[in-house]
Amino acid sequence: MMREDSAPTELVIRQAHILDPGSGLDGVMDVRLSSGRISEVGEGLHGPRELDAEGLHLFPGFVDVHAHWRTPGREDEEDIESGSAAAAAGGFTGVVMMPNTDPVVDRPVMVSGLVRRVERESRVRARVSAALHVGLAGERLTEMRLLKEAGAFCVSDDGLGTASAGVLRNGMLYAHSAGLPVFLHCEDHTLATGVVHDGVAASLAGLPGSPASAEDAATATALILAAETGAKVHITHVSTALSAALVGFFKERADVTADTTPHHLTLTDDLVSTLEGLYRVNPPLRPDGDRGGVEAALREGILDFVATDHAPHASEEKELPMEEAAPGFLGHETAFAALYTDLVLTGRLSLTRLVETMSCAPGEWVGEGGSLRIGAPADLTLVDLSEEWTVGRETLISRSSNSPYLGRTLTGRVVGTIVGGEPVHDRTGARFGVRA
Amino acid sequence: METRSFLTLEDTSREDLREVLDLARAYAGGHVREALAGKTVCLAFFEASTRTAVSFELAAKRSGADVISLSEKGSAIAKGESLIDTVVTLDRLGADAIVLRHPSAGAAALASHHTAAPVINAGDGCGQHPTQALLDLYALSDALGGFEELAGRRLTIVGDVLHSRVARSVIPGFVRAGIEVSLVAPRTLLPPDAGAWGLPVLSSVDDAIEWGADVLYMLRLQRERMTGARIPSVAEYARFYGVARRHLHSGLLVMHPGPVNRGVEISGDVVLDASSLIPDQVAAGICVRSAVLALSTGVAQRAAA
Repeated sequence: MMREDSAPTELVIRQAHILDPGSGLDGVMDVRLSSGRISEVGEGLHGPRELDAEGLHLFPGFVDVHAHWRTPGREDEEDIESGSAAAAAGGFTGVVMMPNTDPVVDRPVMVSGLVRRVERESRVRARVSAALHVGLAGERLTEMRLLKEAGAFCVSDDGLGTASAGVLRNGMLYAHSAGLPVFLHCEDHTLATGVVHDGVAASLAGLPGSPASAEDAATATALILAAETGAKVHITHVSTALSAALVGFFKERADVTADTTPHHLTLTDDLVSTLEGLYRVNPPLRPDGDRGGVEAALREGILDFVATDHAPHASEEKELPMEEAAPGFLGHETAFAALYTDLVLTGRLSLTRLVETMSCAPGEWVGEGGSLRIGAPADLTLVDLSEEWTVGRETLISRSSNSPYLGRTLTGRVVGTIVGGEPVHDRTGARFGVRA
Repeated sequence: METRSFLTLEDTSREDLREVLDLARAYAGGHVREALAGKTVCLAFFEASTRTAVSFELAAKRSGADVISLSEKGSAIAKGESLIDTVVTLDRLGADAIVLRHPSAGAAALASHHTAAPVINAGDGCGQHPTQALLDLYALSDALGGFEELAGRRLTIVGDVLHSRVARSVIPGFVRAGIEVSLVAPRTLLPPDAGAWGLPVLSSVDDAIEWGADVLYMLRLQRERMTGARIPSVAEYARFYGVARRHLHSGLLVMHPGPVNRGVEISGDVVLDASSLIPDQVAAGICVRSAVLALSTGVAQRAAA
């Protein structure tokens, strides 16, 4: 973490509206941070260093279990410094980095190297996911126990999925032995032959479609294998109503969690008619029926949390016809505002549930953060729920600008992010000034 | 002069269609000469094409324009220059119109966002092929005695609708002209929900005849789709989705955007039969494309139509 050695080790944040569903906190209070941890929550707290946060909301720091920081290999698109700065700007205090880099993170020496770099370069707590199979080629398993020793947090096939159910089953069994969660991208490539959702919008546009079954069939396979092997499995970016229902069916039968993304909760395949490569993403944006099904599953707790699948791409990979564009959206910086604007302000999701799904539940999954209980790491996010801002290339901190919300005016903005008691993002100026 | 791109027929009105066809008719009657004198038309073909490229080139030359052709061989396109960079270059070199053929849907719209010159979509992926639909409307109007005669006719589009940019342009074009349209294709070659065009889907050419089709519009079956998972065999395809002499009756017209696969979607003795409009479609391409060039560059104003 970037910390100044000379910085005082205590900070009192005063008069913020503190909301932490996991700790049962909901009201205007003060919080004291000491030695990087939450030490006291209550009224009338004072200290040598105070921060006046009246009018702001304070949440446990958001945790994003799905980020592509393009390191190693595509540092022109993002690196640990810029990715973590973007995460901090979005209120994220913890992130899991995906292994589908170039080269793929499939060897212990790469994991240990990334872990060391994260300590020096990341503003937020970043965990390293290693690949589930060598080169993400779907054949040989990686050295999972050595990867874990090197500091890997989980193993993943993200970006491609695992073509062979047999390899996936062995991967789950071995990861179970190694004590590593398995983080899965569910996609059947014999069905996913298109570039957008195979629906009415695709057929009118003349774009090759990938049917929902490409995700559903692979999700069903993964869930069945999770139940059979007993592995700790996480299904990422659930985008269809049926896949969400399948997750629900297996909740009691397997050690399974699942997330969906801000873009699958707020955007639909209506954007296909723009024909713009910017809007290509995998899994593809779905019709509103699926979007609504995923939203309901998140509301009801069938889907456990939100993860952004932050996927930076250079402009030359996105300013192309849809069929030639690289799939993926930026996610960190707009996640909270997009969900707050489209789901909370419209009454479809409570602010409490949003905080549960962005902070508490993913924090619990990674085993750290996402809570303001006494003694927890002082990872927290300050948000101005009334601020309106327009997403633009110049407002984005990421090294790339492929946000599907470019040009959109959103409500709710992260004004400060604190990791281990120290600010890692602060765009408030005088408003967020620390009074000594 | 007001310029405008021709990208799609999806949101074209009946009046827009009539405007193009009337101007094309005037040009066919000899008014085309010098219409585009002093204009430079750039043909940028990122995908192989013979008939469309030749048709556009003739259309531009007969109306007096200078023509520059860029094909994927031996040009910047072959050197890996991006679509946007290529069209921006043509634009800055002073093109008055850019005729674009590209393998990806949406390419023409993307190009048009980066140029001052109007972009004319000469086919983009499985997206749109608007001048094909316009020349089809021209040829069919001629055969039936005028644009007004199209309304109420029954036309069946047969074949690979899923992968057809021609279908995505002729469907809105025919529907806007008042034609009743139905589709015939196996489900493997139809978009989900039959494209949500709201058109009836029939199961064979025989059924289309029974439905009362006045026109059969046959789509080309791409060679790479003749074998493999979408259709079992050419023989089965030809039997149910091909037009044969036995289907012909007085009053039935057969159309095809070309190039035809004789013996697949159309039997050899139908191609040049009296009922076939295929040669008329090719011929209509030149005056229709002259009209599109004139309207897009602004040399023919709406009032001229």
